[in-house]
Amino acid sequence: MLASATPSVPRVSFWRTFWSNAVMAPRTTLGFMRIDFVLGTIFIIPLTQMVFFAFVVQVGGGGASEIAFTALGNAVATVTYSSVFSVCQTTDSEKQQGTMEHLLVTPANRFALYFGRGILPILISFATVTVGIFYAVTLFGVQVAPGSLPALAGAIALTAFAMVGFGLLLGGVALYLRTSIILANIFLFIGLLLSGVNFPTSQLPPVLQWIGYGFPLTWGLDAIRAAAAGDPLGTVALYYVAVLAAGAISFGAAIGLWEYFEHRAFATGSIARY
Amino acid sequence: MTTVEVPRISRSRATSASLRLSFLMFMADPQWLIPSMIAPVVFGLVAFELFRGSGPYYLTYAILGAGMMSMWGQTLYGSGWAIGQDREFGTLEPTVQSPTPYVYVVLGRVLWNVISGLIGGGIVYLVVLAAAGSPPAVPDPVGFVVLFVFVMLTLASVGILFSAAWVYTRYSGFIQNVGEFAFYVGTGCMFPVVLLPFWTNPIALIFPPTWALDALRYLAIPGYVGFGWGFWPDIAGAVATTAIYVAIASTVFKRVELHVLSKGDLSDY
Amino acid sequence: MPDTPAIEVRGVTRLFESRKGFLFREHTRTEALRGVDLAVRSGSIYGLLGPNGAGKTTLVKILSTLLLPTSGSARVLGHDVVEDSEWLRPRIGLVLGGERGLYNRVSARDNLRYFADLYGIPGGEREARIAAVLERVDLLAAADRRVEEFSRGMKQKLHIARGILHRPEVLFLDEPTIGLDPKSARETRKLVRSLVSDGVTILLTTHYMFEAEELCPEIAVLSKGRIVAHDTVAGLRQLVGGDRTLEAEAYGFDDREVDAVRRLPGVSKVVSEEYGPRTRLTLRLRSLQTSPDDVAAALPGHSELSVRERRTSLEDVYLDLVEEEAH
Repeated sequence: MLASATPSVPRVSFWRTFWSNAVMAPRTTLGFMRIDFVLGTIFIIPLTQMVFFAFVVQVGGGGASEIAFTALGNAVATVTYSSVFSVCQTTDSEKQQGTMEHLLVTPANRFALYFGRGILPILISFATVTVGIFYAVTLFGVQVAPGSLPALAGAIALTAFAMVGFGLLLGGVALYLRTSIILANIFLFIGLLLSGVNFPTSQLPPVLQWIGYGFPLTWGLDAIRAAAAGDPLGTVALYYVAVLAAGAISFGAAIGLWEYFEHRAFATGSIARY
Repeated sequence: MTTVEVPRISRSRATSASLRLSFLMFMADPQWLIPSMIAPVVFGLVAFELFRGSGPYYLTYAILGAGMMSMWGQTLYGSGWAIGQDREFGTLEPTVQSPTPYVYVVLGRVLWNVISGLIGGGIVYLVVLAAAGSPPAVPDPVGFVVLFVFVMLTLASVGILFSAAWVYTRYSGFIQNVGEFAFYVGTGCMFPVVLLPFWTNPIALIFPPTWALDALRYLAIPGYVGFGWGFWPDIAGAVATTAIYVAIASTVFKRVELHVLSKGDLSDY
Repeated sequence: MPDTPAIEVRGVTRLFESRKGFLFREHTRTEALRGVDLAVRSGSIYGLLGPNGAGKTTLVKILSTLLLPTSGSARVLGHDVVEDSEWLRPRIGLVLGGERGLYNRVSARDNLRYFADLYGIPGGEREARIAAVLERVDLLAAADRRVEEFSRGMKQKLHIARGILHRPEVLFLDEPTIGLDPKSARETRKLVRSLVSDGVTILLTTHYMFEAEELCPEIAVLSKGRIVAHDTVAGLRQLVGGDRTLEAEAYGFDDREVDAVRRLPGVSKVVSEEYGPRTRLTLRLRSLQTSPDDVAAALPGHSELSVRERRTSLEDVYLDLVEEEAH
């Protein structure tokens, strides 16, 4: 048998894949990326969620410090919309539009593809939490220690990174399930309960505390609370490492899971189902 | 031009067909069962934790608040989402093109969500009960259950009108996400609206559940003051606002249909 | 009034407007229909041909009460599609086709049950009616399978089944055979013919010329939102220059030779096209005065010249009309 010669194919550039997915993909797949929607996510959702839980705490007999605790917690928890939800929605949208199969048949580097898709949500998440904390300080009496702004910004950035990684992780499951928005919903609710958003995790039974620390949001919240309180740099740095690790694990697991479910989805034909 | 006789369109049959289809679609994708059960559980536990120690009726507050939040989610957002799915599937066009007024199709979808909302409310009750270890003290349990179902009907009336937004535009999902907590605040599902700044009260009273929930608290919590006008005026307000919502629903849907037929974006999603 | 057309369109226009951008709003206006006139006899099949984006689906949606015209009037069964939409909806059927438009997560039978209820089909007849239409489109064996498991062709058949379930008097078929294999497409055409013998009036849009030629006694060609011609197939042939077509092929013709051919008796139109190194002159003939030999005589000096005669096809007519409109 003669070896057949095939023409050479162009090398798929890592950075080109990354850039195209960071900039183009959000525009093509989602109405979410309409600028008015983005502004709504950044400015309205944190405020209404914080007002709601602040009043609940007040009715429950909580004082100013409890209200401040809840306000800061919800300011950070709203990151779930711009990170986990938006990433999951992107995946679902690809399935609904029938573009997922075409995407997966390309030779593009999967890390560049998925990480690229996370860039815009990371930026929006950063902005959402920043605006939320601004509301917390100006409207709900949250104290930010003098000189702690750089540490706070670092904690917010790392939380946004970790949460988008977590969103990608959940989004990967959508290749196999009909939709990943369900999972996003579950983790939105669980976050309110187990991540120390509305009351300290120490009030939870030990088992639930352990589960809570399985989510990047819990680590991110601890880091942000520590940075805002002006904790020593060493303490904040430890939290940084924890959030970074949570993010790296999420991204790594996301890529592994995407590859696994990509394989499973091709075997079961579930990519075309939504 | 002579034409053949066409069968009479039965609105109740169309509604039950829509309810049945919603059930079949749910059964085909029962994953939704998970968030619809988890949300009530989480709401119940968060409310229980936050209200703990706030007075003798904290348990009732927790159950009412979390139950209402969970039912809100199911009835309002579930109903809107169902119409959004019609857009995604491309079935909104043939459904609107059928001779049944679309509002009756929506009614079927809303009724399905009312049923799942009631189940959510039941889950909240059981979860809070398990967390507290004893049932809440409710002076009139029968009246409470009857009023609870009535609250669901007031929610359904809002659900129908909100669904019109999904027919109107494909971006309703975003609007609902942004408005979610504002509605929870504005209608007093977790705490009485009177606690809010006074200027928000007239806005809150536009929504039938605000009245019904206030009435429910009168029944469940001895010494409750709320808006201050008492139980029966609350009931009258809830009935009146619900009747208005139901009365205008058909007109609103007709107008929305006219708008989308003029815009030509029924198949967009 | 037996002469009242089942479908009557007068000066219908449709303008789509869209805006995008946040700070700098961009306003786009697209004229999908630009004054369409049309009349379809009761109990006939009327074909609507046109390239993509010509406005065929827009017109079908207006006639089936799914879209309002910007101006003009459209009447179906003597009733205005805007004012009398409630009266019309139970009497008309619409098949848009495609991958969307069905509840994929439930079975074909449940899809039809749902729409049977929305159309008020009597409860006692419902199951039998559903079985009958499923059999008619050859889907009875797959009736209880989820639609998401269906092939594109099966989905297309289910669209048709839903469109005829309530026995409409007027049926709008938007590219009904697209995505069907040749056998299924032939069965669908047979079904369309049988519906007409049942007295149904059909407006059919298609890209397949042979389908239009086979099914439609009358055809309209829509291009850029305007009806550029409407007639019988024979009438359309005459419109573009005649029933006969001669084709002459060689390695290039100069302008003088093309002029010589154009001056031959009965030649109404000459189109020159390049095919790699060869050129083809297509001649539409209004009469029998010019034969292939006459053409060969007008093109001397081409040893490799070939001339053949054939009947003008609907595809020739369509391409001539659409190209004329494009220029």
